[in-house]
Amino acid sequence: MSTTTAVTATSWSNGQKIAFRIAFIFFISLAIPNSVEWYDTVIHIDWTRLNYRDLYDIARFGSGINIFGDHLFGSTLLGYANWIITFFISIAGGLIWTLIMRRRGTERKEYNTLYYWLRVVVRYRAGIGIIGFGFTKLLPVQMPYPGLGLLNTNFGDMTAQKIFWLSVGIVPWYQVFAGVVESVAGTLLFFRKTTTLGAILLIGALGDIVYVNFAYDGGVHVYSSYFVLLAAFLLVDDLPKVYNLLIRERYTVPVNFYPSFSALWLQVTRIGLKSLTIFLFLGVLFYLQLVNFLYDPYKQPAVAGVRTLRGNYAVTEFRLNNKVIPYSPLDSLGWHEVEFENWSSLSFTVNKPTPLDLSNGGGDPQQDVNRTFEITGVAGGRRVFHYYADTVDKVLYLEDKYKAIPDRRNRAAGMGGDGYQAAAGDKAGGRRKGRRQGGDDNGTTKAGISGGDTAQGPAATYTSGVEKTPKEGKGKNWIPATALAHIGKEVDKIDPRAASTRRDREYAVAKWEKRNRMVLRYDTIDNGNRVILSGVNEKNDSVYIVLDRIDKNFVLTESSLQAGKY
Amino acid sequence: MTTDTINSNKTAWKGYEKFAFRLLFIYFFLQAVPLDWKYYQQLFSIDWSHLSYGAIFDLAHYEPRWSSGPPAYSDWVILLAISLVGAFIWTAVDARGGGRVSSYDNLYYWLRVIVRYRLAIGMIAYGFIKLFPLQSPYPSISNLNTNYGDFTRWKLFSLSLGVVPSYESFLGGVEIIGGLLLFYRRSASVGAFIIAIFLGNVFMSNLAYGGGDDVYSLYLVSVALFVLSYDAQRLINLLLLQKPAAPNSYHPVFRANGRYVRLALKTAFIFFFVILYGFKTGSGYEKDPYQFPVTKGLPGAAGIYNVSQFLVGKDTIAYSKTDSTRWQDVVFEKWATLSIRSNRPVVLDSDNVERPELSSEERTYELEGSAGRHYYRYTVDTVDRMLTLQNKNPHYSDEKWVLHYDRPGGSRIILSGVTTGKDSVYAVLDRVDKKYLLEEARKKGRQGGISL
Repeated sequence: MSTTTAVTATSWSNGQKIAFRIAFIFFISLAIPNSVEWYDTVIHIDWTRLNYRDLYDIARFGSGINIFGDHLFGSTLLGYANWIITFFISIAGGLIWTLIMRRRGTERKEYNTLYYWLRVVVRYRAGIGIIGFGFTKLLPVQMPYPGLGLLNTNFGDMTAQKIFWLSVGIVPWYQVFAGVVESVAGTLLFFRKTTTLGAILLIGALGDIVYVNFAYDGGVHVYSSYFVLLAAFLLVDDLPKVYNLLIRERYTVPVNFYPSFSALWLQVTRIGLKSLTIFLFLGVLFYLQLVNFLYDPYKQPAVAGVRTLRGNYAVTEFRLNNKVIPYSPLDSLGWHEVEFENWSSLSFTVNKPTPLDLSNGGGDPQQDVNRTFEITGVAGGRRVFHYYADTVDKVLYLEDKYKAIPDRRNRAAGMGGDGYQAAAGDKAGGRRKGRRQGGDDNGTTKAGISGGDTAQGPAATYTSGVEKTPKEGKGKNWIPATALAHIGKEVDKIDPRAASTRRDREYAVAKWEKRNRMVLRYDTIDNGNRVILSGVNEKNDSVYIVLDRIDKNFVLTESSLQAGKY
Repeated sequence: MTTDTINSNKTAWKGYEKFAFRLLFIYFFLQAVPLDWKYYQQLFSIDWSHLSYGAIFDLAHYEPRWSSGPPAYSDWVILLAISLVGAFIWTAVDARGGGRVSSYDNLYYWLRVIVRYRLAIGMIAYGFIKLFPLQSPYPSISNLNTNYGDFTRWKLFSLSLGVVPSYESFLGGVEIIGGLLLFYRRSASVGAFIIAIFLGNVFMSNLAYGGGDDVYSLYLVSVALFVLSYDAQRLINLLLLQKPAAPNSYHPVFRANGRYVRLALKTAFIFFFVILYGFKTGSGYEKDPYQFPVTKGLPGAAGIYNVSQFLVGKDTIAYSKTDSTRWQDVVFEKWATLSIRSNRPVVLDSDNVERPELSSEERTYELEGSAGRHYYRYTVDTVDRMLTLQNKNPHYSDEKWVLHYDRPGGSRIILSGVTTGKDSVYAVLDRVDKKYLLEEARKKGRQGGISL
């Protein structure tokens, strides 16, 4: 590579040099991950059995100087306080730097080389970040297509955030288009000549997303604004040139400085690193995301539901403790309608107020029971239970997907990545019931519990990958050993191509938690056109439910692009 | 055109450049300048004493059409064919005259003026009906009580935008700013660039959601790209190739009078399509949002009602989600529409054209793209306590019936009458104090524990 003409290495003014020092500290701080969790996660990646989330987590992290905390005047200022604190520290640092240079008499004339490298750091940080984001749209999994439960929910019974997510979920091909735009913007940032165009696309697309997040309370406003900030920094040199050329109609000479890479080892290193980045974040990540889309869409349960239990069902008869409860919209005991999804979920509505999970229902859970997109942000009496099916004895063991104490999500993303936000003094017991869960890739931060996934619950451990008899002990074993043997290990119930160490690890430490549970025997007649459920509901009442499949003929037709294999 | 010495010593255009220009000149001239007789028919039918923003919207929405029905790409193909023929004829005429014309800088300038203004008013027309959130209004009570799966994609798009008026205003603002930048020669390319990106997304959305504006939006994208192409080479030089770039060097020259004429025309144009239009749209938003009827409904009746008792003839029909006659709930809107949810199938009204000009009775936005409910406009006779219902769906235009209503007090309404099927119907409606998560979450935020 070569330097441009001698015109370039001019001397910078004092103001420019100070501004550069401040910007240097600020943007380097913003480009480096600042949470211990991130380093912990990345160090433990198993590169031989990757999950898309491994690479995604590398690309999505919070940054900024947070050793002084994330609050300013007692508030996080919608999450932006961290930037402001970092900015003040950068100013201080920049001034100190200037002072040191002056004192030592080593004042420089210009920072062309260092500016170039700063821009490289920002370009690559923005590039891999937006590609991580973009690929989950390119292979449309970020906004899932609504399942039967959501299709049967009234429009007014959803949060604005849910409405927005679904409005993109219903058009997977448009989501692909949005993913193309984001991925292309990111890729253009990897190359010098196309950086301006990439930054313009980035600022346009993400500027819109920031506004969307504020309007719909989507929760990812900080992370989206982050890209707008980085893109703006990359454009700060180009906009005056465009203004000069178009508005002032003057002859404009662009001045760009590129250091020379004449030494062979420099050239090899540069090309090697660049190729590695592109290989990982365009090549490998694409493959992993494709596998995720085909076999394990991260916001949808991955395990297929029972074949004969699929579709919309009308409740023909409902008996509670042997008493028939006739259908009435005012009654609060009976189930009004039932949906069996393609995956292992049972959804139904009951006219009874229930505490709601209003989080985004995304993030990185590997277990089906924690993939809560189908229950988050919806009311109308909707309940969703994840089931384990003993297809030999024909019994369903169901767990409520709603959890009173929410999980931490997006641990690696940290504050700036709109992931977990550690508020001072949070402890597990201090959480109120029904509190919204921690963040999603599109979720807001909310203090979760400071520990891991564990909550109070029975001690029986459901281990995967290892043949172990469940422990007896405190709390009952709600699934008998014979049934467990019939059900098999959930971790293995997806296509082997989607197997990953991340999934195995999460299942290995999974414990039974305190959730509403039901045990229902199912009888199917006529290939599942009629289903009879009988057993015990979450209140330990005996229930007997006769369901008849109905053809709902939704106006919203299915898309040709469908995630998951069921 | 004027003679000018400033620009006369420019480089001559090459042969293919001249031909391409002739083609594009004819094509864009025909697209932008109203020559279709249907446009003038519309123009002369306007009531200028009661000028509505809808009328101005239609004036800014000119599209030359040969086909009838929804706009089609075939109209463009015909125009292109005409342009091609015209370009050949023009070339021949020019050659016959000895090839005098060496450059079309002047004509290019004027073509660009025409398309810049055409594009600007097209954007601003849509911009103001978003800035004042008219295009996608906040969902009606019936919309809030319809299953997600009972809407078409386009309707869901519109409803999803309607719940966030501030975002809709933002989008309108972007369109208006893009349009305003086009009115000034030097900022035209910036405006065109913003518009091209914005409309590119509009076009893809129309394809994905099945909106009706894909042809029109793609047309405007092509115009925006044409406007941008004037500066394309220099921008590519500057930003992509990172070489020195020369600015535009053509400056139009006007004689003394010409300057004033130009200023007067520009002012009048902007006044009509921006100031007046914006003002009328704003007041329209206050008084008469065009998507919903404006006639007031039964006083104090707005809300959703549970149908606690339902008789057809002499038979009481118990609550049922599967019976095709049993009413499941009834919604009275603030305006004179009521809708009934039942298991009776609905043939969709899938109209998706933007029509700000309709009269109150003709407004069917609330039921377009929706199933699950039947919608009736009604007139009230408060003396005899009668409601005369008319099904609003054009597929059921024969469905008219008369109901007697009783309001014994509180939140109960009793309806009785004879349906079109000659069955007598009796329904007791009790209003439900329904809380919508959409509104509860907005009020309390998603952090607090909400149980619903």
